[in-house]
Amino acid sequence: MPAAAALKVLIVDDQFSVRQMTRMTLEQLGIRNVYESENGKDALNKASVQPLDLIISDYNMPEMDGLALLRAVRGHPAVRKLPFILLTGRGDRELVVKAAQAGVNNYLVKPFTQVTLREKIEQVIGKLS
Amino acid sequence: MASLDELKRTFFDECGELLQDMETGLTDLQDGSGSEDTVHAVFRAVHSIKGGAGIFGFEGLVEFAHVFETVLDSVRHGTLHQTPEVFTVLLTSSDMLSDLVGMSRSGEAIPAGHASECKQALEQLLGKGPAGSSNGGEDAGDFAGLDFKPVPAGGGDDDFGFTPVRSDDADGPAGDGKKSYTITFRPRPEMLRNANEPLYILRELRGLGALDLVADLSGLPPLSDIQPDQPYVSWSGTLRTDAPRKAIDDVFEFVVGDCDLSVVEEEPPPAAEAAPPPEMHDDVAVAAPAAPVAEHKKPGRSQPAADAEGGKGGSANKKQATTTRVDLDKIDRVVNMVGELIIAQAMLGQVVQGLSEEVNGRLSQVLDQTIHHTRELKESVMSMRAQQVGSVFQRMPRLVRELCMKTGKKVRLEMTGESTEVDRTIVERLADPLTHIIRNSADHGIESPEDRLAVGKSEEGTIHLSAAQRGGRIVIEIKDDGAGINTERVLRKAKEKNLVDQDVSLTDDEICNLIFLPGFSTADTVSDISGRGVGMDVVRRNIQDLGGRVTLKSERGKGMTIQLALPLTLAVMDGMVIKVGENIYVMPMSSIVECLHPGSSEAYNLLNTRGMLKLRGELVQLVYLSDLFDVKSNARGILESVVIITEAGDGAKFGLVVDELCGHQQVVIKSIEDSYGRVPGIAAATIFGNGKVALILDVEKLSELSAESMMPGNSTQPVVVSATTH
Repeated sequence: MPAAAALKVLIVDDQFSVRQMTRMTLEQLGIRNVYESENGKDALNKASVQPLDLIISDYNMPEMDGLALLRAVRGHPAVRKLPFILLTGRGDRELVVKAAQAGVNNYLVKPFTQVTLREKIEQVIGKLS
Repeated sequence: MASLDELKRTFFDECGELLQDMETGLTDLQDGSGSEDTVHAVFRAVHSIKGGAGIFGFEGLVEFAHVFETVLDSVRHGTLHQTPEVFTVLLTSSDMLSDLVGMSRSGEAIPAGHASECKQALEQLLGKGPAGSSNGGEDAGDFAGLDFKPVPAGGGDDDFGFTPVRSDDADGPAGDGKKSYTITFRPRPEMLRNANEPLYILRELRGLGALDLVADLSGLPPLSDIQPDQPYVSWSGTLRTDAPRKAIDDVFEFVVGDCDLSVVEEEPPPAAEAAPPPEMHDDVAVAAPAAPVAEHKKPGRSQPAADAEGGKGGSANKKQATTTRVDLDKIDRVVNMVGELIIAQAMLGQVVQGLSEEVNGRLSQVLDQTIHHTRELKESVMSMRAQQVGSVFQRMPRLVRELCMKTGKKVRLEMTGESTEVDRTIVERLADPLTHIIRNSADHGIESPEDRLAVGKSEEGTIHLSAAQRGGRIVIEIKDDGAGINTERVLRKAKEKNLVDQDVSLTDDEICNLIFLPGFSTADTVSDISGRGVGMDVVRRNIQDLGGRVTLKSERGKGMTIQLALPLTLAVMDGMVIKVGENIYVMPMSSIVECLHPGSSEAYNLLNTRGMLKLRGELVQLVYLSDLFDVKSNARGILESVVIITEAGDGAKFGLVVDELCGHQQVVIKSIEDSYGRVPGIAAATIFGNGKVALILDVEKLSELSAESMMPGNSTQPVVVSATTH
């Protein structure tokens, strides 16, 4: 059972406010080690130097979008197994299919609640303690 | 931890930027200067607004943004063509989105059906009924019917939570189809520099099978010599795995050029006997014909390393500006401190001057250096407060669109120089005057399409909005090709309202300037557009409050140009300290063209003037500061004075006569208006190092004052200003 306090999570979103909001929700779940990136490239750099337990990434971002990030992560020897949750909009059914093919661990439709977030995380890394 | 309210505020700040991106993008697309990236950027802006709005619970906003986004998505994918009709709807929708964001921000309830007309127009573009309703059955946050199974991450005995594929032990039967590889791996410095961590690679390798590696520490220098960015360790050993050779190559894919690597497949041991685990030595000879793994670079692989170094690839050019949000108050505090620092420095300068020659010499050297640094500090701080005027300009296209819709006129707005930077306060306070001037131009200036055609102009009028930095000022120009000012009508109105004498005779320029008088409005009917009780006098007042100046040029039938000249900053300026009698004044350096001691052959006396100066064949009007301010001058005549040649707003030069120049100095601008009201000819005050106060001259006004005092019939009445600097 992974301890929430020990989990290291990277949030990737180009919007500061959304990152902050996600951080807040994660902190409410007891996850204190939260890192942020504002685009896919930065996320990939961070992930390759900073040990992480989970990436939660938005899809729509300039430079490198969430799907491209997912593919890059899966193709990177050091982090290819890193659990990855993709944030999607309400209409992005096709995106989820593509993400599944690219090896996403889970997806989360925005806007989400604390309950859904917890549920989605737990489906990937097990019950949080 | 930020509160939810703060987060919301941040979200709306972001929305402001996103809306601006969207508007700019749409405008670019419309006039054909956009690209595919522009379409994506617009889409992303709307998408981000929708996403954030959802998270922060602004349902009305989400609903509209969703339909808008769907349409933009069709544009993005080329299923909807970028026709003028489509742009009309897109632009209207972008206005609507701005409105909705504004309402959400201020907490106003969005009236039912407020956006419905616009939404319908969008839906029509999609050629179908309501665009996929925003909560079509997916309110649970999941896609109903989608066959998606969350993928649990592997067990947790590794940092990454994946279970290494366990090899069946080393002494297992050898004939299990597994192969042994001898691997030596020596990272080169480039590998670390490219942000690749050997440890991760080894872990990854361990995931493939039974890995038995020995680290070679012989290259490790004494602790004191270790450079943190150098690799000193190499590894060699064997891997027993059933994974194909390619899997091993894949592990090293990203570092293959940055390390010395050899992977050699060992001969399978005789099937009957268990293979003894290979002995490991530091000096394992890798003599076998090494199948070189190197040089199989795959094109297009994503490699974070390239970006870590930055500036290499083409993508680095498009690097986003990294910004950080800082509270404006904090910057202002720094600005104030820099102001105080400049004053303290001036005091220091005074002290140094009073010291003995010997001490003075060394000290003033250091002081000069400090002054240099302070100046740079000031400029850096000012640039932090600077903002592009584009942020105000961006509001104008919408204004013009709305005006066109209301009046039935056709107006094209052209903008140049949006990236000109100016102090934030000025940018903020520019919005109202600019809005008013543009409203005026579109409402009164530009004629109706029929009228324009009748006088041989193109049906569509043009308003050109430009910004540029000239000297120490920023000049914003609003130029239209409309009818210009109807001088007879203006004069008649002015007389009706008793703003001028009934029998006055004025030049066209003077008549045009009457529109700046308080209480003047020529609109016969107060229209919905310009007539909001704000006249051009308020515009002028606003600009003057900013230390700026408004000039107007109008040509009947051809159009009108309004120029706003503004200072770049409101806090500190470069000044020339001048002296008249016992009084000390400061003149903005930016308004000084040159200074000179006139010779007797250069000074002239003409009728009705206190004199002219012949400057390289050109006659320049002289203005005596002592006369204007009614202070006593120590100079006996022009030959003992200094003439400062300055340029007035209309480009005309005049010479300001003063006693002496005391030096160039950075001064902190302190407003005196709160205490003394507006004093003509005086812009503000400053404090010197010795604690004395000096007045900063308003050069523009000085030339006007002198012109007024010279007008026939006006007795030379000095302005009642006396600077007491005792």
